[in-house]
Amino acid sequence: MSEQTGKQLSKEEKDARFEAELLPVLDPLYNFAYRLTLDEDDANDLVQETYLKAYRFFDYFEQGTNAKAWLFRILKNSFINEFRKKSKQPAKVDYSEVEGYYNSEDVEGEGGVASTTDMRTESVQDLIGDEVASALNALPVDFRTVIILCDLEGFTYEEMAKILDIPIGTVRSRLHRARNSLKEKLEKYAKTMGYNS
Amino acid sequence: MESKFTEAYQKAPDEGYETDCSKVSEMLDLVIDGEATSEEEKFFNTHLEECVSCFESHQKQKLLKGIISGHLKRVIVPESLALSIRAKIQETL
Repeated sequence: MSEQTGKQLSKEEKDARFEAELLPVLDPLYNFAYRLTLDEDDANDLVQETYLKAYRFFDYFEQGTNAKAWLFRILKNSFINEFRKKSKQPAKVDYSEVEGYYNSEDVEGEGGVASTTDMRTESVQDLIGDEVASALNALPVDFRTVIILCDLEGFTYEEMAKILDIPIGTVRSRLHRARNSLKEKLEKYAKTMGYNS
Repeated sequence: MESKFTEAYQKAPDEGYETDCSKVSEMLDLVIDGEATSEEEKFFNTHLEECVSCFESHQKQKLLKGIISGHLKRVIVPESLALSIRAKIQETL
């Protein structure tokens, strides 16, 4: 008999594995939570809740299986439940405020003699980022979710099917519709940026 | 010229071509997401060499994916989050 699910781990084992296997997913998990809730506090709560649940059910988590997909699934389910509880909340589109940060790497070199082209490129990049974020945030949450999972986090269709608990065929069609919808929103903008002929 | 061609093509589609185009259009996401089999990919690429409109659709779809993965800023995790997760876990034990 190989490794069994549900075997009892000692607290030390559990804590060590929690640190090594689950906590490294914190960054993508928080980003996912934020993209779902569009609110930093909600994202915080959702991530904490997810980790608490994961710790509680850790005995059922088989070593070597996909920790990231497992955590994403727990978070997605918590989000659905929370979302139901909170009833229908209007979508918050305050992204411009909360997204006024830069990747730490990008901040470097500000004292340098940035050429005008560099500065221009940078502001164009920011502009595109804002535009993409607003188009994405305007999508229905199911559409937003598949795009984040696929294009941002690089999950396979199979992993997405497991995370969302839907058949692969549904993943495909949902992704297709989500992209069409996003394309529509970005098309006008893309044209002005010269992406389209 | 090109629109004339498209028009004529839409009115009287060569049956084989139409099938290939719709097949390729259904494969777009699969190919872009790296989910196509090597056989599918071969068929896809061969068709793209002879069909401008499918070639363009592919470019657009690729661009869209690139825009998302390349331009969407990641939010920075609050430093306190990992700490409070650990604390909460110890609390609830």
